Amino acid sequence: MIKTKDEKGIEGLKGKIQKGKGVDIGTMFVKCAHKEGDEIVFRSQRNAFFDVEHTDFTKKILDNSKVKYIIKEDDLYVVGDEALQFANMFNKDTRRPLSKGVISPTEKEALPIIELLIKSVVGEPSHKGEIVYFSVPGEPLDADFNVLYHIKMVEGFLKTLGYAPKPINEGHAIILAELAEEDFTGMGLSFGGGMVNVCLSFMSVPIFKFSVAKSGDWIDQQVAMAVDETASRVSAIKESSLDLSKEGDLSKIESALSIYYNHLIEYVIENIKQEFAKARRLPKIPNPISIILSGGTSLPKGFSGRFKQILDRLKLPIPVGSVRMASQPLRSVAKGALIAASADESKK
Amino acid sequence: MGLTGTEADIINCVARLRLAKKDQIRRQVGFSLEYIGFICRDLIRRCYLGFSEGHYFLAKDGIKTLLAEETPKIDRKLLKEVAEEVARQISGELKRTVKGIKIPVSVREIIKETGFGTSEERIKIKTDFDLPVEDESLLLESNIDKIGTRVEKEKSDDMDKTVRLFKELHGKRRKK
Repeated sequence: MIKTKDEKGIEGLKGKIQKGKGVDIGTMFVKCAHKEGDEIVFRSQRNAFFDVEHTDFTKKILDNSKVKYIIKEDDLYVVGDEALQFANMFNKDTRRPLSKGVISPTEKEALPIIELLIKSVVGEPSHKGEIVYFSVPGEPLDADFNVLYHIKMVEGFLKTLGYAPKPINEGHAIILAELAEEDFTGMGLSFGGGMVNVCLSFMSVPIFKFSVAKSGDWIDQQVAMAVDETASRVSAIKESSLDLSKEGDLSKIESALSIYYNHLIEYVIENIKQEFAKARRLPKIPNPISIILSGGTSLPKGFSGRFKQILDRLKLPIPVGSVRMASQPLRSVAKGALIAASADESKK
Repeated sequence: MGLTGTEADIINCVARLRLAKKDQIRRQVGFSLEYIGFICRDLIRRCYLGFSEGHYFLAKDGIKTLLAEETPKIDRKLLKEVAEEVARQISGELKRTVKGIKIPVSVREIIKETGFGTSEERIKIKTDFDLPVEDESLLLESNIDKIGTRVEKEKSDDMDKTVRLFKELHGKRRKK
């Protein structure tokens, strides 16, 4: 019996794994989302590696301790969260396949490593041509590079794996994940490792989108220089114990982090204001917009409070309703990409 | 209906270039490609612009506007200052007048009012090509597959509803 399109659709929903995937390819993490029954499953890898001495003994120890590694010819690299731990142990910095949101131009191992990490989280397509939306940064306002090479390389690689890949702007993905109740109208901000991505959307249509090439890594580097530490150690402190709502009794590193967080937030808001100034005709947005904050750099306690404080002072040219953290700041980009992929798959 | 500042900018830009791609207009006027596409579609509907083979050109009313010198010639900075002053005065009056009145807003009304939601014209970049990318990771030895990835799960709750709403909005845009 030939099944109608609707019947096929219903059958697809009953199946455990639903078609379509969303991948967040960030400077710090690669994360893939897919839907399984009534759950969204996220698979992730940290986007960092660290070279250690390559001997059979080291390899055996890493295998026994379940530490992920990659071997290329004579080189052995520890990958993932453990790379950060190793780097701290040796008082050095990790190496990264992505820099400022795109494939690192200066890292010779960038391509094979990022391919391996992407492959490990997306897996095989459920069928040839399964739609996968992958996150891409907006064109940077303050850096002299464009994102086309990065997009084409990732797209080409996902095609090689058998997917039908489509790019989605990082900020836009956040809006799809978080602003359905507001008809996908509002602003999505992703404070990632290498960039901050911003998208203003009206009824799901991006009005403007851009990125700035300063974010978590920039904070780490500036603080590291200021207090004579390694960026990896600063990053570890930032991720584990920083509290931006704390006003007194700050350590030297915490004070420096607080100063550079302030600077970054102000820099982003000023850039948003500039984009509004360039955009001479905006659609009539009837209600104050919501701003969603997301990404690893937005994780420290007190971040949204700090952002609101600075926004109150600097003010945007349109009324702002709520400023809030994404429900899951590390997952919203992948989730938004998954929503776009699911919508496309269900149209097939 | 007269032209807004941005519409006039777009017409001036097309007049200067004679044949203009959406991206060229975007670079000169600002805004996202989608938004420029939206305004251009409206200008085509109102016979100010024409469109053929990926290029916009001036249509009957666009040429008339230029000949009649109706496009704003006032210094934009001055225009902005005056507009801001007027907006401040009007918003004060408006706030006093409509205080306490809740204005209902629906998606349909917004689409009707702004025209946002018209189908998107996508200009195909002719140099866009399928880049064959080799899987260089095949040259690597790794235990990543053996150890696996970090897996987290969350209830999908309203995801199906979100997908439906997203499709609905895009469907409306295509129909328009």
